[in-house]
Amino acid sequence: MTSWVLLAPSLFGIGVFLILPIVLVGWLSLHSWNLLGPMEFVGLRNWRSVLSDGAFGRSLVVTGALTLLVVPLQTVLGFAVAALLVRRRAGGAFRVLFALPWMCAPVAVGVIWRWLFAPTDGALNALLGRRIEWLADPALALPSVAAVSIWSDVGYVALFFVAGLRAIPPEIHEAGALDGATGWRRIRWLTLPLLRPTLFFVLVTGTITAFQTFDTVYALTKGGPGDRTNVVAMQIFSEAFDAARPGRAAVMAIVVCVIMLAITVLQHRYFRTRTSYEF
Amino acid sequence: MNSDVRHRRSAAARSVAAYLLLLAGAVCTVAPLVLGAFTAVKTPGQFATESPLALPDPTTWNNFRAAFDQGFGRAVLVTALMTAFITAGQLITSIAAAYAFGCTEFRGRDLLFWIYLATMMVPPIVTLIPLYLMFADLGWLNTFWALVLPFVFGSPYAIFLLRQYFRGIPRELIGAARLDGANTLDVIVHVVVPMSRPILATLAVITVVTQWNSFLWPLVAGSGRWQVLTVATADLQTRYKEQWTLVMAATTLAIVPLLVLFVVFQRQVLRSIAWTGLK
Repeated sequence: MTSWVLLAPSLFGIGVFLILPIVLVGWLSLHSWNLLGPMEFVGLRNWRSVLSDGAFGRSLVVTGALTLLVVPLQTVLGFAVAALLVRRRAGGAFRVLFALPWMCAPVAVGVIWRWLFAPTDGALNALLGRRIEWLADPALALPSVAAVSIWSDVGYVALFFVAGLRAIPPEIHEAGALDGATGWRRIRWLTLPLLRPTLFFVLVTGTITAFQTFDTVYALTKGGPGDRTNVVAMQIFSEAFDAARPGRAAVMAIVVCVIMLAITVLQHRYFRTRTSYEF
Repeated sequence: MNSDVRHRRSAAARSVAAYLLLLAGAVCTVAPLVLGAFTAVKTPGQFATESPLALPDPTTWNNFRAAFDQGFGRAVLVTALMTAFITAGQLITSIAAAYAFGCTEFRGRDLLFWIYLATMMVPPIVTLIPLYLMFADLGWLNTFWALVLPFVFGSPYAIFLLRQYFRGIPRELIGAARLDGANTLDVIVHVVVPMSRPILATLAVITVVTQWNSFLWPLVAGSGRWQVLTVATADLQTRYKEQWTLVMAATTLAIVPLLVLFVVFQRQVLRSIAWTGLK
């Protein structure tokens, strides 16, 4: 009895603001509506039109490319920073500095970088003495957006690796050194297997976050030039609120949800079969 | 002896190299924020005529004054109020729910907990459109309640994190308090909460950071009088495109309060990052 009283607020909140919207999104996907007039049941028409829509497919490709740029790079860089940080006396001060971008609103970060990237009065071109169109050049726009994401996340990722590395008993490294394992071999065959839980967490959350990128893109490019940085969250947002087609946007949202579930399950499987660690 | 000296020398050289790399990383991390803050205190005249990398001379607060003229004072207040409201609400309701899940027995407990967890897998972009339509239907868009209601009744993530912690509290302590005549509320307030201070501080930090920086929901739910800082910053950038001194004042306002919080609560923040990585 008391259990249910304690649960009541969260049951209400999660029921009304999470589960009800999830049900509604499925219902919306079967309707055509312009946010104002009457709602019309159209069956699977939205599904057919979205799944054959090149723009939606392209936004998925852009999102995938962004994820593939961001996640491996931030993981490798984060690991490198952590390896430098761990067991160093001044590590604490550096940890504070590296955690700073994590605290900053992604939108504000995006706006700052928009200035840094600005072609004529931006800091980056002033530093390089060149005039590079970081965000307007179709070939550079997506890597530039990725660079901002990586800048924001490296320190955060590094802190996880620091925690993971600290959990490895030093005796293991000493034993490895006695066996003649050095440098890369020691990292590959001793450190990385022991860091598998950390690696799993960093890769899964990194992928989920990168696949949902919205704030940074909204501040930096709004999806441009053309649709070169039009990530799927941006596409859903403009489909619902600019084009006023919430039915089609609902279909896209469900597709994204399914893709993310699939990625999570796959990553889980991969790490399950290759480790005895109970996760 | 000789090899010992050589060994020590190479270790010292490696240490210097590590610190140099860390220093370079720290500069890359901090420089964008510092440059943004410098631009925020430059006069538009200096910004237009000198290199974007030049130090501010003379310094001015006029950009901040201009930002406040654009309604930033109110945006700061709205954001602070929203953050405080959601953080307090989430902590209270999540403590209650986590206690029910972690320290009491009732039918359907594990199934319900599993459902709570499953909702964490759904990306916010999926629930965004139906939530927007629900609030539009009630006529509650662009009110304070639109900003806070979806989040104030507890978050599955907070409940999950707290439940793990609460389960580690010895049952005998709760039993002893019960024997002394304490009811459930007494047990929570006088036994569970005092024993869980570290995780509660951690959770408060995460919630404050998340809510202060949140963008997607406030972007659609709170315009005009109920605009939050992140939305106001993005908005200012679109309206005053190349006035970077004003725009950087806005981003500085959006970022600095959390950085101050970070400096004060360093330990909790760094721990919160490590703990969220624990599973």
